[in-house]
Parts: sequence; C-alpha cells; structure tokens
Amino acid sequence: MNGHTHNTDDRRELQMARSMCWHCQSEMAGEYFCDRCVKVQPVSKDLDYFTCFGLPRRLAIDTKVLEAKFYELSRAFHPDFYQNKSNEERSISLGNSAMLNTAYRTLRDPIQRAEYLLDLEAGAVKDIRTSPPADLFEEILELQETLDEFRESDRSSEHASTLRAKLHTDRTNLEERQRDMEARLQQLFVRWDALQDRGEATEQARTERTLILKDMRDILSNRTYVKNIVNDLVATIA
Amino acid sequence: MAYSEKVVDHFNNPRNMGSFKKEEDGVGTGIVGAPECGDVMKLQIKVQNDTIVDAKFKTFGCGSAIASSSLATEWLKGKTVEEAGKIKNTDIVQELNLPPVKIHCSVLAEDAIKAALADYQKKTDSK
Repeated sequence: MNGHTHNTDDRRELQMARSMCWHCQSEMAGEYFCDRCVKVQPVSKDLDYFTCFGLPRRLAIDTKVLEAKFYELSRAFHPDFYQNKSNEERSISLGNSAMLNTAYRTLRDPIQRAEYLLDLEAGAVKDIRTSPPADLFEEILELQETLDEFRESDRSSEHASTLRAKLHTDRTNLEERQRDMEARLQQLFVRWDALQDRGEATEQARTERTLILKDMRDILSNRTYVKNIVNDLVATIA
Repeated sequence: MAYSEKVVDHFNNPRNMGSFKKEEDGVGTGIVGAPECGDVMKLQIKVQNDTIVDAKFKTFGCGSAIASSSLATEWLKGKTVEEAGKIKNTDIVQELNLPPVKIHCSVLAEDAIKAALADYQKKTDSK
C-alpha cells in the first residue's frame, strides 16, 4: 500500500505545513503533537477520517491497522491524561477524543465507510444524486398496505393466513435482493479501490470514477429503503 | 430529543391520511423518498378549476415525516396550483419546530408537493 497513499500524504503535508502550534507558535511538523513544546494539537475540522487514521481513501481497509491506530490515538488524546493540564489542553483532548470516536465508528463499518466516502467525494462529482427509484417506491407502498391490512385483520381468520403467507414470500424475495445488492456493492468497492490504486488522472478514469460513485449511491439508498421494509415485515409477521 | 407538541399532535391525529385513485380526473400523485433514512411519502392532490379541493397522504417513516406531510395536506387544501408551488420546507420547519436533524423530513414534504403538482400538470397537458 504505497503508491496510492501518495495523494493523501500530500494533502496532509499541506495541511500541516500551514498550521502553527497554538501554544508556542512554531510551525507544526508533528502529527498531533507539537515537536517543540509537545503540546497536543486540535485535529483540524478539514481533516477527513481516512487521513486522520493515516489510511488511504479506499473501501477495503485493514481493520487491524485501523484498530491499532484508534487505540494509539485514544490513549494519546484521552481526557484522563489531561486532568492536570491547562484549560486549552483539556478542551482539545475532549474535542479530539469525540472526533476520534466518531471517525472510528464510521470507518469500522463497511457501509458507513462507503457512505462517508460518498459524502467526501460528492463535492468533486457533480450530480451524484440520481433519479429516485419510482418502481421501488410503488412496491414499498403496496407492501405497506398489505402490512396494514394484515395488522387490522383477525389473526385467526383464513384471510390473515393468506396475507401472512404472501408477506412471508415477499420477505424472502426482499432478503434475496438485499444479498444481491450487498454483492454488487462489494464489486463496486473493488473497482473503486483498483481505480484509486492506479491513480490515473485521465478523462476515462474520471468518467469511471463518477460512474462507480453514482452506482454506489443508487445501491446504498435502495438498500436503505429495502432494509426499512424488511424490518417492518419481520416485526409484523414474526 | 423530544418532538414538539405540534409534531405529536399531527402524529397522533394525522389529517387527510389515505389516497385517491391515481387515474381519477384532476388527481396529481407524488411519491418521494429520503435515501438518508429510507422514509417513503406519497402525497396526492385533487384539483378542480385550478384550485386544490382535497389532498391526501400516506407516509411510512418517522414522526416528523408523518407530521410534515400531514401539515402539507392541510395547507394545500383551498390553495390554487400556483400558490401550492410556493410552499417551502422552511415554512414547515417553522410551523412544526423541527430540529436540525429532522429538516430532511420537511424537504421530503416539499418534494412530494412538487412531484404531485408536476404529475397533475403532466396529466392536464397531455389532454
């Protein structure tokens, strides 16, 4: 994992070069602590979570590296170690810890990681929002109506058992589609990472990049709709 | 975080819940969704002589989304098509006192109104 970290490293260097230690005003060379006065530094709001953990902007990440870095930084920022320090340092320790926890939770989960990456890239890719899935909406509304009908029915009636059987089939089908969507997402993750690794700046690479992000956006939002209806199904017919 | 009184009221006593037949004359249907939370909202208007005489909604989502669409149908009734197009999500936010994390629910309601109006327009134009 060398070539593809290049961009992220450049960005980080730029960010660090511009900043000054809040305490001794010397130029910051260290990562989160001033090299000169050893004071803790606030994590910049512009720093994305990947950079924060020293990870490339990829969707397959080494969770061991992520975890190790999380523990390392958790110790470094932990408020317990700042109880006897100045107000500034205490508040930086709190802010950094909170940010670190959110960053870790986001990157740890593959879906949240992808959502976050999309947010980061959305600015770079115009029109990342695609048209709403009209067919899926229709399907969901219809299913919800059947669910309502079932909820209001006399559970011991024949009508209710017919409805229950139908809802069971719907549930199986939807869960099948969920698995299919996850598989397609996985494929997109692999394609995204391969593209990042190649690091090309050609027109073709840019087009592919946009396509991948759009497809990811589509599947991720459809996945949320399907997940909701499956949850409702499970809760009602369980 | 607690819901405002108005949200709770609309949630417990939703106004105008239900639906019209899509094919019916003068009916415009808007179905929209919020990809962030997976909420789906259907909002319909019934137009006679350029005035919205009735409106109905069906929303599957959180309390704020239900309240936003319930309020929207209340506001829509009696408005002309042109006036209806001017309803803004910020009006809904203000009326229901929605917190920042629930603003997308009001956006969803505005989108639903726009979609229903567009559908009505399309139906009228194609005649």
